[in-house]
Amino acid sequence: MATTVRSDAAANDRPLPDDQLRQMLATMKLARYVDERLEALYRQGRLPGAIYSGRGQEGTHVGVVSPLRASDSLFPTHRDLTAQLAKGLDLNRVLAQFWGRIDGYLRGRDGNSHIGDWAGSRTYAVMSHLPIAYPVAVGAAWAYQRAGDGRVALAICGDGATSNGRWHEAINWSAVQRLPVVWVVNNNQFAYSTPNEKEFAIPTIAERGAAYGIPGVRVDGADVLEVFGAARDAVERARSGGGPTLIESVSLRWRGHAGHDPAKYVPTELLEHYVASKDPVKNFERHLVELGIVDDDMLASMQADIERRFEEAHAFALDSPFPEPGDVDKGVWVEDGYWRSEPGRSGGTGAG
Amino acid sequence: MASTQVETGAAGHGAEPRGKRSDDGQATYLIAIAEALWEEMERDERVFMLGEDIGVYGGAFKVTEGFMDRFGPDRVIDTPIAEETIVGMAVGAAMEGYRPVAEFQYADFMSSGFDEITTVLSRYHYRSGVRLPVVLRGPSGGGVRASNFHSVNPEPWFAYTGGLKIICPAFPSDAKGLLKSAVRDDNPCMFLEHKALYRRIKEQVPEDPSVLVPIGAADVKRPGDDVTIVTYGAMVHKALEAAESLAARGVSVEVVDLRTVYPLDEDAVIRSIEKTSRALVLYESFHFLGIGAEVASVIAERAFEHLDAPVMRLAPPNHPVPFSPPLEDAFLPQVADIEAAVDRLSAW
Repeated sequence: MATTVRSDAAANDRPLPDDQLRQMLATMKLARYVDERLEALYRQGRLPGAIYSGRGQEGTHVGVVSPLRASDSLFPTHRDLTAQLAKGLDLNRVLAQFWGRIDGYLRGRDGNSHIGDWAGSRTYAVMSHLPIAYPVAVGAAWAYQRAGDGRVALAICGDGATSNGRWHEAINWSAVQRLPVVWVVNNNQFAYSTPNEKEFAIPTIAERGAAYGIPGVRVDGADVLEVFGAARDAVERARSGGGPTLIESVSLRWRGHAGHDPAKYVPTELLEHYVASKDPVKNFERHLVELGIVDDDMLASMQADIERRFEEAHAFALDSPFPEPGDVDKGVWVEDGYWRSEPGRSGGTGAG
Repeated sequence: MASTQVETGAAGHGAEPRGKRSDDGQATYLIAIAEALWEEMERDERVFMLGEDIGVYGGAFKVTEGFMDRFGPDRVIDTPIAEETIVGMAVGAAMEGYRPVAEFQYADFMSSGFDEITTVLSRYHYRSGVRLPVVLRGPSGGGVRASNFHSVNPEPWFAYTGGLKIICPAFPSDAKGLLKSAVRDDNPCMFLEHKALYRRIKEQVPEDPSVLVPIGAADVKRPGDDVTIVTYGAMVHKALEAAESLAARGVSVEVVDLRTVYPLDEDAVIRSIEKTSRALVLYESFHFLGIGAEVASVIAERAFEHLDAPVMRLAPPNHPVPFSPPLEDAFLPQVADIEAAVDRLSAW
């Protein structure tokens, strides 16, 4: 059980109905476009705050979220905006958050990809400390186990976060209690400037599963269906009482840690290789074209739709008011009612 | 409300049996806390408890003895030694509608969960509107020869986060009523039980499970006219002892028990200063940046017109709690130190 297993989902190249596969591609293409546009706006000085690009990791993000139900929960990090979009976050309100507007999910209390929508899409509001959401996922999973309702928690962190004590605490605890949780590591090979060989001494992260007594699976993040297959197995295992799984999905971080970081420490040949032959979006598009599930017309229409959605969301964000400065001290305690009321525009959050 | 010296003792290690109320119906501070937990567990199925050794063993201080038999191992959970995840687990469960009460074997080990407490628990509602009705509780304070790592007063560390209600009761009735309020509060609460008081203090405690004490309200434990002592926790009892001795010398001391240290009941403190014009802030957290440092600032800001003397503080120095009895006694404010401070204030 506790060995590194390569999923055989790669052999199953049509694991979902065609319309769901098209939707997966559309989500990946949307996320890619959003990432590129946000970076462009950032470089033009038109985007306040920071960006943490997930470009090149769409296979991981969409692959692990796709098996989740709406009632399952997701515990992401700052780099996992793609996963949150796949889970159901509304692009309008995501961009409103980037621009610090009241219609953002966190009403300006936090910015950029430090975002979450617990009341709606059941995603944890990202925090910077890594992997601070892993212990929280333990609690959600415990609640699902206690209720016996079959729900699953899925947490994502990066390769660097696996060096942190919290990572070990949470996985160990989940194994002891056999909790319905899936532990995903987005191994994009660099934690800011720190490569894998400076983070851990073993060849793979997946084989650490054995240390906790849980299965560990290593998948190719460039192949969204391989990721999906492993994630689906892990989610079903958790849902049926089989306990946690550790999934290591390997890709490359195409951009810097954050927008300001030119990432010169990433070898040029490595980056060029990944962009040329391990682009999860291009790979999946080619795959669906080969199977006849999408054609040029569909792709053109998909792209037009994506671009239109971004323009609309950007306009929505810029049109949304800033939060009232007088409200800065509100919402610490439940009793002042700040979070129970809508902020005056459609799409406000209710209490969680 | 009487306080009786029941027994002296060491840090509470070992298998002391959980007591019961005495024949005349008095409960110790520890039993009052256990009653609060038991009643809230019975009242609301969403309440559950987690911590190290609280189930099978009944807790290091035996607060939770008998709980697992009554409520079952899925509501009284023995955890691994993983304080970050004790807190994180409580947060996640609270996000899914439960009302966790997490025990820290000693309040000193709350710092092992510092990040989840200060980064997650205390901030999450402000950023997102998601309610976290979590209670963190544990034995705090010194004076029992428990040394560096079993004597801390962690309240200043966690008051600094701004999103945790922090409660430090001095009496059994307050402890019971406040813990019940904390469990029912939809905000994160930290409930610090002074271990020196666990078995040393007993009094009549309400039996009616609907009786609550409000969080954020101070209480005048002894009215007086000449000097105000603002204090909390075990120091309340030393203040009362000093007040009794000073009364015999004609000095009338008013003792204000904060009960909740965050948020502070500033109005109650100021009302007392308006009456007496002289303030001694007595606290067991460190002199530097401890709770009393904030209280003294508030008094200086808001009651300047009423003061006849500078605000005085009496608290331990800013270093670890030592073990050897004469060292620890020198470290902590003693009754004689309190009397001397009041004398200096009175003479101003």
